[in-house]
Amino acid sequence: MNRRAFLRSAAWGSLALGVRPGRLTAAPPPDLAFVQGESPGALAKAAVETLGGMGKFVAKGDVVMIKPNIGWDRTPELAACTNPEIVKALVELAFAAGAKTVTVMDNTTNQAQRCYIRSGIQAAAKAAGADVPFVNPRRVKKMAVRGVWLKEWDVIQDFVEADKVINVPIVKHHSLCRATIGMKNWLGAIGDPRNQLHQRLDEAMVDLAAFFKPALTVLDAYRILVRNGPQGGRPSDTKLLKTVVAGTDAAAVDAMGATFLEIPPAELPYLKFAVDRGLGRIDLEKLAIEKRTV
Amino acid sequence: MKKERSRKHRALQLLRVAVQAVFLGLFLKLLLGTRFSGEDYIGNVEVFFHFDPLLGVVSFLASRQVLAFFGLAAVTVVVTALLGRVACGWVCPLGTVHQFFSWLFKKTKMVRPKKPAVGGLWVKYAVLVFVLVSAVLTLDLVGLFDPLSFLTRTVTTAVIPAFAQAASAGVGGLYALKLDAFGDGLTQAVERLTLNGTFGQGFFIGLLFLGALLLNLERERFWCRSVCPTGALLGLLSRWNLFKVKVDEARCTKCNLCSTHCQTQASPFPNKEWKSSECVYCETCAAVCPTKAVTFPLRWKREPPPAVDFSKRRVLATAALAAASVPFFRISKARKRAHDRLIRPPGSLAEDAFLAKCVKCGQCMKACPTNGLQPALSEAGPEGLWTPVLVPKVGYCEYYCSLCSQVCPTGAIKELTIPEKTVVRIGTAWVNKNRCLPYFLGRPCIVCEEHCPTSPKAIKFVLVEATRPDGTTAVQKAPVIDLDLCIGCGICETKCPVVDDPAIYVTSVGESRSKTNQLLLQTLSE
Repeated sequence: MNRRAFLRSAAWGSLALGVRPGRLTAAPPPDLAFVQGESPGALAKAAVETLGGMGKFVAKGDVVMIKPNIGWDRTPELAACTNPEIVKALVELAFAAGAKTVTVMDNTTNQAQRCYIRSGIQAAAKAAGADVPFVNPRRVKKMAVRGVWLKEWDVIQDFVEADKVINVPIVKHHSLCRATIGMKNWLGAIGDPRNQLHQRLDEAMVDLAAFFKPALTVLDAYRILVRNGPQGGRPSDTKLLKTVVAGTDAAAVDAMGATFLEIPPAELPYLKFAVDRGLGRIDLEKLAIEKRTV
Repeated sequence: MKKERSRKHRALQLLRVAVQAVFLGLFLKLLLGTRFSGEDYIGNVEVFFHFDPLLGVVSFLASRQVLAFFGLAAVTVVVTALLGRVACGWVCPLGTVHQFFSWLFKKTKMVRPKKPAVGGLWVKYAVLVFVLVSAVLTLDLVGLFDPLSFLTRTVTTAVIPAFAQAASAGVGGLYALKLDAFGDGLTQAVERLTLNGTFGQGFFIGLLFLGALLLNLERERFWCRSVCPTGALLGLLSRWNLFKVKVDEARCTKCNLCSTHCQTQASPFPNKEWKSSECVYCETCAAVCPTKAVTFPLRWKREPPPAVDFSKRRVLATAALAAASVPFFRISKARKRAHDRLIRPPGSLAEDAFLAKCVKCGQCMKACPTNGLQPALSEAGPEGLWTPVLVPKVGYCEYYCSLCSQVCPTGAIKELTIPEKTVVRIGTAWVNKNRCLPYFLGRPCIVCEEHCPTSPKAIKFVLVEATRPDGTTAVQKAPVIDLDLCIGCGICETKCPVVDDPAIYVTSVGESRSKTNQLLLQTLSE
């Protein structure tokens, strides 16, 4: 081997050793994972996988809180609550990533027990090993939310004490804010009189989203509610999209959810507030969206 | 004479205590099971009531209908005819509670009977006659005195709420002691059991129960001796039963312990004074006798026992009093015009038929998952005291729930399937535009529309221009109600952010069960 050959091979070698692994880790995950398919659980798993896997969001020993929408006494085919299979898949992923405990919880609107049971979420999450407690009134405490509009409110402590919070909303029509997706879901992590927040719902939702800071948002658009929201009542109020969207940008996820309801994201005042406050982006056409089918 | 107590009867006494404990436990288990447990349809949790012959007779007399499920009461009738009032002494849960407190008061020497009590037994027969005569005149008062109704109502509206309050305080204490895990566990258990903690009249119903318990300081099992009309009815049936007391006069030392400690004043000694209609076969007399002189041999000999001092004259006087009293119970403005807040549970019969069957037991209130069903005070008039009324300020009628209709022991609330229930109208919602935020302040809200459970929603919204206090105007979505779709469930009233006096509220007009309490003329709707 002459000197030139040595230098050349050394150069290639250093490229191979140093740059190739660097390129692998540097490959940026997409802004949004957009997965379509038949099985809700598989969709959720594929969406998280597309973002780099649950290990990116949950560390070993983490106390994980998963926040689905369990607000209504409605069965899954009515699309008023998050799909139980998606919740179950996320519990499994969190445990596989080394979570110490996984809790699934919501401050329901109808009677808690009926919502937990009839949504199917209690059974599904428990089957995967999660705790599924009811809201304990003793663990609701006034906190400084420090929002632009909402300064303080009663917050369920389980959500702020967790190391990582994963938001798992479902896409639904809502007469006041037009769309209830991820940010509106945070009204289930706070105490009463939360109904009074309707007086400035758009601002309140954004302030709460900024406060809770989910590590990840996984959007259930498997079957969405397109009218008579947010609880529907007839299968004809729903639309089957067989889609799950995931991302770390809560505004982007909600923007994508709005399109499922055929609402341009820029038309939603709350998303505009979210952008103004730097919570994320809603210019979907400029986002990196990785679409998969499983 | 060798002094030795009967081991056999002591064993029977202990067996009786065990049987009592089992039945009380079963009663409480069924009562605590009267709640949403995850299934739409719960089993026959009201079965205890169907073994009660007095409830069956009164329901039949007052409603003029034969209620098949009371066929089970035939078991009690046959058992009583053959064995005497064992239902009172061994089975009745209220009897067990009274007996427990009698025992407690005796053990703590708060009651020290020195000689047999005399008199007072006739009162319960008077109560029985009063209840039966009223029932003939279609007034159903049995629930006020019937032991199962009395105990169910008390446990539901007073004991459980008190327990829930105490548990809540206990949870606070556990957290104060840093025992968070126990506090969390207790909270979750209370939530799972759906222990309703708020009842408008729980305090007074509880006070009556306390009074009934304290009467045991006067005489053991005072209620069973002198008040209980069900016991009186069973007493009438038990005269010719097979086991009659026998005091062996050769062994008897005439110490009178048996009659002194008789729980129900049946007076085993002297023999001819024993009243089979009063004996509940508690076995105390035979167990307490120091010379084994008291026994209950099998004898099918018809011996007319000495009757209780309830003379024909008293029967007639009581009947006359009852007949004269019935109209007083009917003095109510609810008879003149439907009461706006008399919102009955879904499936309730038309008011007259409902009142003729409801025994005010409170099973429906126990089953209600939102605590919305409350005991009435004056809404339904005197005869409707403690009958169920939905109070949406406390809780609403859950859309997919028909538990109250399933657990009603007399069919005053007709049993409904879930699909049947969702179309029953129990009232109609109205908006008070003077308090509704969009209407009078021009602020966004429509929480009521969000919660309306029907599809399509009965609460819709229209754009309304409001003049604000500062003179500016605002256009907001404001609720309007489609009376054709509203079922009166009351969730809008429960959830209205105007907490003290909701800006949307339900009244009884339009209720499916009434022909007269209606508003919309069907012939006019296109």
